Formats: sequence, C-alpha cells, structure tokens
Amino acid sequence: MTTLLAVLEATTTQPTTINIPTLLLSGMVWVPALGAVGLLFFPSRTDAHRDRIRSFVLAMTALVLGLGVVMWYGFRDQTGTFAYEETRGWLSSLGSTYHLGVDGVSMPLLLLSAFLFVFAALASTRVREQTKAFFILLLVLETGVNGALCSLDYLLFFLFWQLQAVPMFLLVARFGGVQRMAAAWKLLAIDLLASAALLLAILILYFKSPTRTFDIATLHDVTLPAGTALLLTWLFFIAFAARMPVVPLHLGFIDGQAQASLPVAMILTGVVVKLGGYGIIRVDVGEFQTAFHKIVGVVVVIAVVTVLWGAMAAIAQDDLRRLIGYVVMSHMGLVLLAAASAAPVAINGAVLMMLADGLSAALLVLVAVAVVERTGTASIRAMGGLAARMTRGAILAVLTALAAAGFPGLLGFLATLMIAIGAYPTHRLATPLALVGVLIVAGVMVWTVQRIFFGPLPEGEARVRDLGTLELGTGVGLFALIALLGVLPAILMDAINFSVITLLSRGGA
Amino acid sequence: MSLVLLAAAAKGPLDTWSPTLFGLFALLLPLTGLVIILAFTIDSRRLSQAIAVLFTLGAVLCALLMLAIELAHPQHLERVGTYLQFFTGQSGAASEFSLQWGVLADPLASVVLVMVALVSLFVQLYALSFIRREDDPIRFFGLVLFTTFAMTGVVLSVTLFEMLIFLGLVTLSSYLLIGYWWQREGSGSASLLAFGISAFGDVALLVATAYLYFRFTDLNFQGLANLYANGYLNGRVGANGLFLIALLVLIAAAAKSALFPLHVWLPRSAQAPAPAAALIHSAGAALCGVYLIARMYALFHASPRALALLAVVGGLTALLGALFALFQDNLKRAIAYTTMAELGLMVLGLGISAYGAAVFEAFTQAWPKALLFLAAGVIIRELRTERMGEMGGLWRRMPFASWMLLIAVAAAAGVPPLSTFWSKDAILSKALAISSVPAVVVGTAVTLIGAIALARIFCLVSTGETARRRRFEPERIRDASGRMAFAMVLFAIGSVVGGAIRVFRGHIDPIAFVSFPGVVLANSHLLAAGVTAVAAVAGVAIGWLIYGPRLVPVTALQPLRPSLTEGLFVDQAYGQGVRLGVLPLSRGLGWVDRRVVDGALDLVADSLAFASRPRRWLGELHTRQLAIGVVAAVLALALVSIVLTGRLIGTT
Repeated sequence: MTTLLAVLEATTTQPTTINIPTLLLSGMVWVPALGAVGLLFFPSRTDAHRDRIRSFVLAMTALVLGLGVVMWYGFRDQTGTFAYEETRGWLSSLGSTYHLGVDGVSMPLLLLSAFLFVFAALASTRVREQTKAFFILLLVLETGVNGALCSLDYLLFFLFWQLQAVPMFLLVARFGGVQRMAAAWKLLAIDLLASAALLLAILILYFKSPTRTFDIATLHDVTLPAGTALLLTWLFFIAFAARMPVVPLHLGFIDGQAQASLPVAMILTGVVVKLGGYGIIRVDVGEFQTAFHKIVGVVVVIAVVTVLWGAMAAIAQDDLRRLIGYVVMSHMGLVLLAAASAAPVAINGAVLMMLADGLSAALLVLVAVAVVERTGTASIRAMGGLAARMTRGAILAVLTALAAAGFPGLLGFLATLMIAIGAYPTHRLATPLALVGVLIVAGVMVWTVQRIFFGPLPEGEARVRDLGTLELGTGVGLFALIALLGVLPAILMDAINFSVITLLSRGGA
Repeated sequence: MSLVLLAAAAKGPLDTWSPTLFGLFALLLPLTGLVIILAFTIDSRRLSQAIAVLFTLGAVLCALLMLAIELAHPQHLERVGTYLQFFTGQSGAASEFSLQWGVLADPLASVVLVMVALVSLFVQLYALSFIRREDDPIRFFGLVLFTTFAMTGVVLSVTLFEMLIFLGLVTLSSYLLIGYWWQREGSGSASLLAFGISAFGDVALLVATAYLYFRFTDLNFQGLANLYANGYLNGRVGANGLFLIALLVLIAAAAKSALFPLHVWLPRSAQAPAPAAALIHSAGAALCGVYLIARMYALFHASPRALALLAVVGGLTALLGALFALFQDNLKRAIAYTTMAELGLMVLGLGISAYGAAVFEAFTQAWPKALLFLAAGVIIRELRTERMGEMGGLWRRMPFASWMLLIAVAAAAGVPPLSTFWSKDAILSKALAISSVPAVVVGTAVTLIGAIALARIFCLVSTGETARRRRFEPERIRDASGRMAFAMVLFAIGSVVGGAIRVFRGHIDPIAFVSFPGVVLANSHLLAAGVTAVAAVAGVAIGWLIYGPRLVPVTALQPLRPSLTEGLFVDQAYGQGVRLGVLPLSRGLGWVDRRVVDGALDLVADSLAFASRPRRWLGELHTRQLAIGVVAAVLALALVSIVLTGRLIGTT
C-alpha cells in the first residue's frame, strides 16, 4: 500500500507525463526487442536477404535514436526530476513494478547508446555468416542496455542487466577473432561474478526493508543498519566495478573487446562498460552516500591504480586492439575517481567523460579494426608508414587519437578538466596522480598513430586500401559529435547538472 | 584628406574603437582562412596560398590597430563570453561553476599579438617559394594558419581555462609542424618528443588550474591580478601554496619555452622546415611559456621564492643554451640553442622583475631569430647538408644570404644599435638597479658567450673556403632571390630597427608600455649599456678571431666537447629513463596481466574443476595447487593493504 502511495505521489508530481510521451521510453527499450522478434521471420539465404536484414536493423536502431532525440527535446527543461516516468503493475505479489524513467544522468547515456547502436548497425557490413543470429543478438543487447539505463526498479534493473550478459557472450564467442572462445568465457565469468554480487545486494536490500518492494525510490528512504549499508555498498560496488572495468577485474573486458568483431567491440567499449560507471553513480553515490563515503579511500586507490595501470600497460602493448581496451579502462578509472569525490562538478565531469569516452572508444575501435583488417596483423610493430596508402585513414586516426587523448576543444578535455577541478579538493594526491595517467594516455595515442601511419612503409603493405566512404562517414560522424559537444557542452549541461545535484542532495544510507 | 580630418578630430577613431573587437578579428581571421581552405580551395595551391596570406594580412592589420589603440590608451579591456555555467548546489563562492572564454586587450597582449601576426605573415611570404610543389604546400599553409590561430588565442586568452585550450592547440600545431616532413628519418621522434614535453606542461597547468580553482574559484587572469593588487592573494593561500602554483605554472612554461631541463625538444624541433622553425622559435610555441609567466605574473610577484626560482632557472637555461650553441655542429640546432639562451634571458629578466624589459627582449629577438632560420633554410637547401663543418665560403657564393646572416647574427648578439642590444641593456639595467651580482654576471656572460656562438655560426658558414664533397658542385649554388629574399629583407628591417624604438623615449617607451603594477622601472644605466655593448662586440670579435681562421680550441677543453655537443646528455638521459624505467614497467604490467591476473582466473577455473572431481585430493596436492594458495594469499594481502591505505587516505 505504501508503495502504491509513493508511486502515486511520484506520478502526480509529474504533470508533464501523459500517455504518449510515456510510451517513448518503453519504445526505446522494447522496439529493438520487437525488431529481434520480427527478424525471426526474415529469410537469410542470399546476400540480398542479408542486406535486407541489415537495412531492417538499421531502421530499428534509427527509430530508437529518433525516439531518443524526440525525448531529448521534451527533456531539456527538466530540473532534476525523473522524466517520462512510467509505472505499471508487474509481479506485484513480489513488490516489483515496471517502473521506467530517465533523469539527466541516464538520458545522455541513453542517447549515447542509441547513437552507437546505429553506428554499430552501419559498421556490421562484414557479418556474412549467421547474419540473422548476429542481428537478433545485437537488438536484444540494445534492449538490455536501454532497459538497464532507465529502470527505476531493482528487479527490473537486474533482469535487464542479465539480458546483456548472454547476447554479449554469444556475440563475442560466435563472431570474434581467433581466440574468441577464451575471451568470451572470461568476459562471462567476470560478468557472472558481477551479477552474483548484484543479485545478492538486491535480495539483501529487499529482505531488509520493512516493505517488500524493489522500487529504488522507495528503498532509498529505508533506514538500514550501518553494517548492512556498508555491505550493500561493497556488493554494488563490486558488481559495477567489474563491468567498468577496474583492476584486477579488467581482463575479461580487455580480451573480450580485442577479440570481438567491429560492431560488438564498439558497443562493448562504447556503451556496455559505461553502465558500470552509471551504476556506481546511480546506486553507490546516489543511494548509499554515507556508506559509500566510508569506503571512498579504497575506491580512490582502485581508481588511481586503474587509471595508471591502463595508461602504463598501454605503453608497451603491441596488440592494437588490446591497447584500446587499456585506454578505455584508464578513462573509466577517471570516472571512478569522480564518483569517489562525490562533488557535483566532478560527477558532471564523469557523465561527460562517459559520453566522450563512449564516442571516442567507438572511433578507436573503428580505426583499429580498419587497420587490422587491411594489414592482416594486430601487431603495432609490424605496421608503419600506412599514411602513404591510407590518407583518409591517417587523418581519421589523428582525429581519433586527439579525441581519445582528451584534446582541448573536444569533449574529453572538458570532462577531464571538470573531474580534476571537482575531485581536487577532496583528493589532493590522487587527482594529480590520475592526471599523470591522462598525460601518458595522450602520449601513447599520438605515439601509436605515429608508429602505424608514419615512418617507412614495410614490405607487403604496398597494396593496402584506403578507408571506404562508409567507414569514413561513420568515423567523421562520431568525431563531429565529440567536437560539437566539446564546443557547445552547454546544450547538455543543465539537464545533467540538475539531476546530479538532486542525486547528491538526497543523501542516503 | 579624410585621414587627416580623422586624426585632427577631438575624439579620433583610436579613442572610440574597441581594441577587443580587433583582437577578436585577429583571432578569427586565421581560423576563417583555414576553414575556407579546407572547405573550398583544398585542390588549388595558388588560391589556398593567396587566402592564407590575405587572411594573415588581415590579422596583421587588426593587430596593428589594436596596438595603436592601446598605445593611445593603455588599458585592460575584456570581451568575455560564457562557455559553461551551472549551479553546483554548494554554498559560498563555489555555488556556481563557470568557465569563461573571450578576448582581452592590454599592452602586453597587443605587443605580442603584433609579433605573432607579423612573423606569421613574413614566414608565409618566404614559404611561398620555399615549400615546393612536391612538399604539399597547402598542408603547410593550413598548418601555419592553424599555428597563428592557436598562438593568437594564447595571447588573447582571458581565463586560464581558455589558455589551456589554446596551449593544447599550440602543442598540436608544433607537433604537426615539426613532423611536417614525416617521411624523413628522425622527424617522428622529434615531433613526438615535442608533443610529449609540451603535453606534460599542459597537464602541469591543468593541475595548477584545479588548485587555483580550489583556492580562488576564479580562473580569470585579471581577477587574479586584482586579488594581488588588493593584497588578498596571500590571504587565500599560504606562502607554500602560492609557491606550489607558481612552480606548476613554471613547469608548464618550461615545457613550452624550453627551459632547462625540459629544453630537449627545442634543438630537435629544427627538424621542421625552415619557415616553420622560424615561426616556432620567434613567435610560436617557444614564446608561449614566457607569455604564460608574464600573464600570470601576479603569482610570481607575490612569492619571492618563485621569483628567485624563475631567475635561477632562466639564468641556468641561458648559460647552458649559449654553451651548447658554441659546440653544436648542426646549423639549425646551433641556432635553436641560441634561442634557448634568449628564452633563458627573458625568464631571468622576469625573475629579477624586469617585466617590460623581458617582454621587449621577446619582441626584439623574434626578428633576428626568424631571419637566422630563414637564411639557414636557403643555405641548407643549396648546400644539401646541415653540418657547419661541411659549409664555408658562402660570402662569395651567396652574398645576399650571407649579408642577411650577418645582420641576423649581429642583431641577435646585441651589437649596438641593432635590435636585441636595447633589450639586453634594459635587463642588465634592472639587474644593476637591484644590485644583484649573480644576475649581472650571468647576463653579461650570456651576452658574451652568445655573441661568440653566433659569430661562430657566421664564420663557419660564410668565411673560408667551401668544403668539397663528393657529388657536390659549389659552382652550382644559387643565392636566394624573389619572394624568399623579400621576406628575409623584411625580417632584416625588423632586426635593425626592432630595438631602436627605445630611442624615441618620451613618445613611446616599449618597456614602460608593457608594465606590471608594482614593478619599479629601472633607469637606464650608462654602465649597463656600456657593458652590453662591450660584451656583444667583444664576443663577436672573439668568435671571429677563433672561428674565422678555424683555430682548434685549446686541448685542455677537448674533454668537455662531447658532453657539450650532446647537450650534457639530458636528451639521452630521458631516452634511457624511458627505455630502462617506463618501458620495462609497462611490459611488467602486461606480464602481470597475462600471468598473474589472467593466470589467477585460469587457476580458479582449474581448481574449481579439480575440486568438483571426487577424489582423494590431499594425496594429489601438487605445485599447482600450492601456487593457487600462494596467489590467493597474495591477493588477500593486497586487498587488505588496499583497504588499509584506503582508510588512511579516506580519513585525511
């Protein structure tokens, strides 16, 4: 009863959400799944069939993106509350409701996800075998990602979270590189560990609360014993940190994205790992502030180690694909540092960092896969002088390196600056150390581009093709987004900031 | 006629026009040119070049107008826009997070802006002929426009945030310029080194920004200067905090302006094409650091320790630069080392509060330095070598280039009445005024040794006989002509009259014009002028006497030679540091990832499989299982220590 009241209260204080806008959010979550079901009835015998499947998937993802953009227009004036909230009865005997909603923290990530799935569909021209299975899995993955981003109910959140694990495993295991099986198992193992922690935390929370409910907002007001709160914070932290990834749980991600095919790696590095950062901000920082403050020392150490580990390991890394994984990991360490500071400026920076890194990671994967495909090797040492053959590729690679290095004028720079300014007052040693990692990543990015594209051309690479129009278009589109947001971050900032302030000011166990 | 009327009017245009507007134009014109080239004329060489030159010319005019307005009314004006602003929900001054950018106009900015725009224009005129068709001239002109844009942005920055952005662009532009001939051996490592050191400086400045924001919640330069003028700077931060920020800013400046020990990129930057090197050394990245210190001078002036550090670092850099130049055989690198000496002298000047004089030194040395590089570019192209040991006798074969070289050498050495004499004299005057013996000694020594090094360059290149080499015919050498010669003459004019502005004291005093509140202007010492003149002339004479007849230096000095030629092995030390420290560490982490972290996963999997099999496991306990135990114990220990350190950090 109290749940119902709380839900009623939440819905009545939300005057803007009437039926049709409400469906937008459900649409963003379920349109891909419907598409996946529809895809079952498509034939996939000939190349024409496969092209039709791809066009259909592209249309589905574009539709989701369109819904996202429409939502964004209705969303801009939000002042920190959840928008497009939708509550339906579902498993009410358990106390779970179908409760969706977005705020300024999840909305940008939702848009990022919508964008990257479109780019991934664009980039999946090379999938020639088992095309139908591939696209079905991709669409299910999108449902899982989008659903997790806008669930306001722990059980729903957990189900969507689990909905990502299986497609991701299959996509890596069936469509990846030579060592894809090992990588996929590793990815799955760490994901299962995270899921176990997540489920345990959710169940403890469920049974400790006086009302049997999974609703996040309701559970926020439950007062827990300090010990329980601490335990829950740890469990949630482990679950999300494993996804992020942090040292020492990073190898599943590093290997997984190195072995995955281009579209899957784009999604994995660009969106899926960002969910870890999102979870930490949403649950650990937002719901368990007091308890999280107690473990903040550990979190900071892990964050700094992750930033520096990723940066240092990237220096001598010879495998181009793995190098990207380390760079992304280093950036996610910065997100963790920002979360640990729990300062509004830093958390804003963390959201921007996830956006920036999501886009630049997709760009990195795009360029890397293009290079690896053409040269037939992932070893950086074996490459060189490709600029002579790939002029477009060289230009795009330089832009990509700048984007990933957080170059001034691009979104990553602003994110780094905000994290530095926000985190410095609370972590005066950790922040400069983390910035050393940023410096190393910048150096590695430029050095890598130089080693691959400049210098003398080795034997046997004289016949390398330049980037195609589609690859170039995808890359330029991604870079344009990074540059646009770098110059005009104000278009996002207000919406993000109000939600961050709300999130931080609510306190919590 | 109308011009006369305008000038005679009670309130002329210079009184009513806004200098910041011209600053904004000067900033946006190069960018517009670049965008036009990229968007429309990327296929037409001539059109692209014309657009680049025209837009830079426009920037020059705007810069000159801004200077004229500032000369009429020396004041600080700003045109500020908000880049990002939001409420943070915190209390007090931190309740609003705001990042601003804009354009400012004050005497310092206007002088440096004119330099940047003019040098960029002249360098482009030279490059019209120098960058041949097969060298991709469109890329070059685009890069020069980009560099001009970045430098203009640095000069006109209103806040530290904006400065960070443009310093980053400068880092990128020098990376691209130094690596311009990317097919050539050594250009990759040189440009990477420049990028790395420059980015290191940028990150140091980022840390400084975070700290400044933490203390002042204001990144505006003028806000900082006002705080200092009102005496609040020391109240908000302790003396140590102030010194710390100053130190971080100095690191950033040292990375850009090649101060010891971050100077290694400067000599290697001579890899760039001659006009690009001229731009970098006289009005590009090398100038940024000095400008940064001048712009944030309040921080240094508030902390005596920081000022002393500036003087020491500057003096050391100047001495080492002059010495390295004396022993360097590569022509462009020798010139680069003389730049290092001049940059050190500027920072020394800033350290002894010779504020206007140091900025004036930056202004006067830009012309001869650019001229040196341009002359070297012509000479190297004709002789097809960069080694001075293989040159000689160009006085007869390339009279024009030799004359230009001579003017540049004399002006850079400080021979009166050429340009740098006036600024060196002003710095020395200040040193005498505060009666600082070390500063006087270092200043004089740098002038003397620098003059010897410069005279050596001229002697080795122009006097004596042209060295004979295989497949090289000295008879086929052609002198510079056409647009290259024209650009060089422009720089030569600057070298001759650049410093003599001081003669018109009373009307315009460049040193009093660029001033910092609280810095006392030193009267010109006759003694200072005398010492500077004698040191410069004596230096040139000594150089002439030793290197004209190619005398072999005293044998006692021979052991010193290799270490000085190699720049005291600082370069090699960095290389070794990376090779022996960073790379093994990085490989070690990779190994840990593969063997330990990954291995642990495998072990867990194996042990689970092992445990699930029904058997008498005690008898089968092997090394592998022991290893599991060890790894688990180590991991547990690591976890505990992380938790403990985390506690410690968390509580502070």
